[in-house]
Amino acid sequence: MMKKLLAILLVLCLAVGILAGCGGGSSSGASSGSSASSGGSAAAPAKKTFVFGDTTFNAENEEPDINPHYAYSGWPCIRYGVGETLMKIADDGTLQPWLAESAVNVNETTWEIVIRDNVCFSNGKKVDAAAVKACFEHLIEVHERARDNLKIDSMEADGQKLTIVTSEPNPILMNYLSEAYGCIIDMEVGIPENGCVVGTGPYVATEVVTDDHVSLVKNVNYWDGEVHIDEITVRTISDGDTLAMALQSGEINAAYGMAYGSYPLFENDNYTFTSIQTSRCFWGMANLHEENPGYAIMSDPAVRKAIAMGIDKEGFVNVLLNGYGYPATGAFPDSFAFGQGVKTVSFDPAEAKAVLEAAGWVDTDGDGIREKNGQKLSIRWLTYPSRQELPLLAESAQATLKEIGMDVQINCTKDHNSIRKDPTAWDVWFSANVNAGLGDPANFFDTYCLDSSIKNSGGHHSDKLEELAVQLRGTFDPDERARIAVEMQQELLDDNSYVFCSFLRMSMIMQKGVTGLEAHTCDFYELTADLDIA
Amino acid sequence: MKHYAVKRLLQLIPILLAITFLSYGMMRIAGSDVVEQKMENTSGTVSQEMIDAAREELGLDKPFIVQYFTWLGNLLRGDMGDSYVSGKPVFSTFVSKLPATLLLTFVSILLTVVISIPLGIWAAVKQNTATDYVIRVASFIGNSLPNFFVSLLLMYLFAIKLDWFPVISKGIGLQSVALPSFTLAIAMSAKYLRQVRATVLDELSKDYVLGAKARGVKFSTTMIRSVLKASLVTIITLLTLSIGSLLGGTAIVESIFMWDGVGKMAVDAINMRDYPIIQAYVMWMAIIYVLVNLITDLSYRFLDPRIRLGGIEQ
Repeated sequence: MMKKLLAILLVLCLAVGILAGCGGGSSSGASSGSSASSGGSAAAPAKKTFVFGDTTFNAENEEPDINPHYAYSGWPCIRYGVGETLMKIADDGTLQPWLAESAVNVNETTWEIVIRDNVCFSNGKKVDAAAVKACFEHLIEVHERARDNLKIDSMEADGQKLTIVTSEPNPILMNYLSEAYGCIIDMEVGIPENGCVVGTGPYVATEVVTDDHVSLVKNVNYWDGEVHIDEITVRTISDGDTLAMALQSGEINAAYGMAYGSYPLFENDNYTFTSIQTSRCFWGMANLHEENPGYAIMSDPAVRKAIAMGIDKEGFVNVLLNGYGYPATGAFPDSFAFGQGVKTVSFDPAEAKAVLEAAGWVDTDGDGIREKNGQKLSIRWLTYPSRQELPLLAESAQATLKEIGMDVQINCTKDHNSIRKDPTAWDVWFSANVNAGLGDPANFFDTYCLDSSIKNSGGHHSDKLEELAVQLRGTFDPDERARIAVEMQQELLDDNSYVFCSFLRMSMIMQKGVTGLEAHTCDFYELTADLDIA
Repeated sequence: MKHYAVKRLLQLIPILLAITFLSYGMMRIAGSDVVEQKMENTSGTVSQEMIDAAREELGLDKPFIVQYFTWLGNLLRGDMGDSYVSGKPVFSTFVSKLPATLLLTFVSILLTVVISIPLGIWAAVKQNTATDYVIRVASFIGNSLPNFFVSLLLMYLFAIKLDWFPVISKGIGLQSVALPSFTLAIAMSAKYLRQVRATVLDELSKDYVLGAKARGVKFSTTMIRSVLKASLVTIITLLTLSIGSLLGGTAIVESIFMWDGVGKMAVDAINMRDYPIIQAYVMWMAIIYVLVNLITDLSYRFLDPRIRLGGIEQ
């Protein structure tokens, strides 16, 4: 009996070994190795290969493939150099020509865009206005968010000139067309089953496996300079520790989305960082609904001011984020014109205590928490765990606000989106959002601060803000838009209903010898033609 | 025995109906839905109209009972639907993850058997000696270490320091499956070797062992022909239960090693409230457990003829 059992086990071992050996050959592109000069025989010219580890390329982020006309799949399309847009968002938020030579606003609803004459798709087909028109027609047919943003009424193609007419004035049409869904793809090829769309970028997608990898090869027809890397594999690596070890072991050449705690492993001569301040902001809003049981607390301007003064933004950024963040004043980073010139209170526990004392909040029972009219100064802090910084911010604020006599009850839950809709269930809601991803401020106010905003969960209202919002919608001049946006932020800050704590410092880490990989404020344009490896 | 097997398979039908209904209901109670989860993950700022339209398109605006029976009706017509998240067919998504899970399960069980059975027997034979103590301490340590920690230790040693295996999976192959299966095998072996030791000790204390010794039968012969044979029922029961749970995937190990199996898929689906994928997973688990238990019961008949199935061969 035992002999038979052993024999069966041995045969099974052998079978697995053989099967595994066979299976290895059909593995994904990542098996080509991470060495810059690996692959090829001695006689063949060495191919340059590059492996990039990314924590965000997955179906959970609505990026199952790289088809820019599906959900958020345009992000990997533009990040990994497959697709390009008409205009490019510079790090100061301004728009720069890319596939378009120029874009002129003829009147409030008409735009004339001239496409560059030397651009072609990776299959060699020339990009003209008709190709761009076909791409946008498909986009607004299938992509609801794009249709909602762009408000395109009609389009006309004439050679390289594309004329777009919008159904209503849309001052930021070109910003929206610079969003990832605006990548220009060849609609004659269409959207293949495997999601490998044909774009104009320096790389061509050859294989996409959802939640695993995308394989890219050099675009030999690239219109904007020489591409240095022959083959790229982007690996989805969801675990932060695995990402760190994969970079340490040399299986990947560069990484996006590394956990802050792993940064010290790479702060040495063998690795290089590229970092930039992004508009992803960690911020909170107060619940000012009258049905909120904490209304008496939150409606008191002194309490809101004390919260704003009692959060140690510098300490949070420098200690808890290991310096990989920037303290915030307003809703937007000061690298943008509309992020400059706003003012708010700074961290000052002594002054915060004085403000509370003056408003009648006093600790009468000696438990360290202040009271007024028999009500404890206790606030319910709603946040969520999927952004690693948010629970840290909540704990940091809990500690510093306790110092000024305020109790903080943290509710850190994935269901915060349901809870925030219940005006009786929270007092402050802290979240992390990209406030100016397209280089324009309007979206933030439209979403979070106005009477019509779908995420104005705190019920904030300001007549002045509403008036300024109307002005902003009708203003085309970027300088004037910036001025209005600053005024709107100041209105929010003076009221202390909104507290902006920090901005994310987005970093990518790469092996020494990797060049041309740069972080950008808008979080696009990762793998470009400039990418190279020694 | 055929009658018994058919009866057990027929029991699958009410089990599947009950379990899919319960899981559907529990996901609803858990709050939020795939549309909200997508908004959160992408920091999406879309209008309420678009959110409502997305819910309507997925049928999430309908009452729970309607949603469940719509899904069930489609299933009976052979349509498991599309993933709410990726938009890809559930069946092909699920099938694409199975080879990885099957290989991981097989290699992990194999390693567990190879490690736990010899060590368990050795510890029993050398009871209360230094060998026994060392094996038992190792078992305590193996039991105490969480999988994610063992994974990181193995990665550090075998991938970074020794460069024998890759950190991240490079497809379904022996080199890639080595570390995740070893991680799982360490935890399972630590548990099973104690069970093997206890079972063997129990058998060794029986009179027939003493009788064999008195008759001059070699200890190794008694051990292999009698003790191990008698212990097999317990060992097989434990291993088959492990096979069931391994075939359901091991989300943490799969995530850490980027091993693209059903466990990771299931956890992602639960996080995203991707009901069609969750339902497929729940059905898979129910089928696996019923089949594995059935096979285990049938195997008893061969391992120990004294055991009769379903009380029908008394």
